[in-house]
Amino acid sequence: MIDVATPSIYLDGIPHDRLGAIRDLPGLMWHPYETNGFWAVTRHVDVGEVSKHPEVYSSGIGHTNLWDLEADALEARRTIIDSDAPDHTRLRRLVSRAFTPRNIMVWEETTRSIAAELLDGFIAGGGGDWVDLVAAPLPIRVILTILGVPVEDAAFLKQLSDHLIEGTTGEMTLPDDAFGNTTPLRLLPFGSPASFAMYEYGERIGAERTADPRDDLVTHLVLAESNGDRLTPTEYKNFFQVLVFAGNETTRTAITHGAEAFAMFPDEWNRLMADPSLMESAVEEVLRWATPVMHMRRTAAVDTSLAGTEIAAGDKVVMWYTSANRDPEVFEDPARFDISRLDYEHVSFGGGGPHFCLGAFLARMEIRVLLEEMLKRNLVLSKEGEPVRAPSNFVHGVLSLDLGVA
Amino acid sequence: MNGVEMVRVVVDAEKCIGIGQCELLEPEIFRLDDETAISVVVGDGLLPCDRASLIADKCPSASISIGR
Ligand code: HEM
Ligand code: SF4
Repeated sequence: MIDVATPSIYLDGIPHDRLGAIRDLPGLMWHPYETNGFWAVTRHVDVGEVSKHPEVYSSGIGHTNLWDLEADALEARRTIIDSDAPDHTRLRRLVSRAFTPRNIMVWEETTRSIAAELLDGFIAGGGGDWVDLVAAPLPIRVILTILGVPVEDAAFLKQLSDHLIEGTTGEMTLPDDAFGNTTPLRLLPFGSPASFAMYEYGERIGAERTADPRDDLVTHLVLAESNGDRLTPTEYKNFFQVLVFAGNETTRTAITHGAEAFAMFPDEWNRLMADPSLMESAVEEVLRWATPVMHMRRTAAVDTSLAGTEIAAGDKVVMWYTSANRDPEVFEDPARFDISRLDYEHVSFGGGGPHFCLGAFLARMEIRVLLEEMLKRNLVLSKEGEPVRAPSNFVHGVLSLDLGVA
Repeated sequence: MNGVEMVRVVVDAEKCIGIGQCELLEPEIFRLDDETAISVVVGDGLLPCDRASLIADKCPSASISIGR
């Protein structure tokens, strides 16, 4: 057995050698985990197969993280991510309109002015912690603007979202009753009392918008009627939590690994400076390189087989995007950061199918705008130290990264 | 258009998740409904065969198929 689940392994970076070894095994590898292991899906083609067959590989039977949850906990924290059709379709259609490329364009100028302000501050200070100064504040401010949440609360919500990540590392820094939490932790997303605070915050802002509707996404969520029924209060607060969390942590991670890559491989940055028409493929390469979400899980709804391995109904099946994004069957010289790749069918937003990332075009726009503003300033980054990584097997998180202005 | 085979694209409204990749690539052919964000083919839906299969391929939920 090759272990890729112990969170501390990730402190030294992604275990690409281990993932590669699993990829090279015939069939799927059974990976022991706590009391109930999983099938490790590591090849690009197999990730696509699992993603595109939700009737076989369910998101709703279990949930989409490695660990198991009791039935009541599953219900209490169920979101768009861990539901199947028809519930999933209903939830997705409530929000999909807000995130289409056409509607995301509306936010481009806001994003640009936030990026400009953050970069000017970073440059004026002669560099520093890229995560704290640029990568973290950009996406949280953008998603809060779209939701219609006061941007002054960005720091608080970012702090909550950081605590949620801890829930995937096994290193919790909060007491159970932090933020006045009274809910048993096992009923909260990521078992974190910060989820309680996120719920409370979302409920308060939702009540404000119900009383005094505005033209923003929170108002849309609280007032939306889909097939005649509204979101239940539990659905709403989980939706709010997902949008803040998913729209924040992941994009920050992409921006951090992207900046580190351009600092490590200055030739690639020079190429982009010389030829901005590489922008589109550069954004995709940043996404592939970063792979911010390392895996998602499904649960087999029926007996099936994949890559010649028999899978029984109820088995956990885990797609390792991190591995699929380095699959040599798809990517030429996969360990190389190459912004002109045309083979950029990465699975950083998932392998397709109904759960494909809702925020894909928003995240792409944020990364592109940031790179454009960096180019405009002729900003050349230099690496001043090693990144401090999150001990997580779920997100490719970086807690801090010292970069200089060359 | 001599020599270029034209095919008709069709969207499966049940499967479409409203990502808008299709509209981004071919705004003249695909339009996301303002209310439901489900992709609707406008006009005749005719595209050169290569282009149609590329777009079908790029749809994350595999909702676009090629008719005739
Ligand atoms: C670089 C940034 C991002 C990455 C790498 C990323 C990655 C992912 C992945 C891997 C999935 C699961 C796909 C699957 O299960 O097949 C997902 C789903 C999701 N993402 Fe993102 N994401 C990013 C940015 C965002 C943003 C900005 C938002 C803001 C709205 C967002 C909202 C969501 C939601 C709501 C889902 C669940 C969709 C569903 O289950 O139908 N993501 N994302
Ligand atoms: S790309 Fe596919 S899922 Fe997205 S809007 Fe078009 S048809 Fe729908």
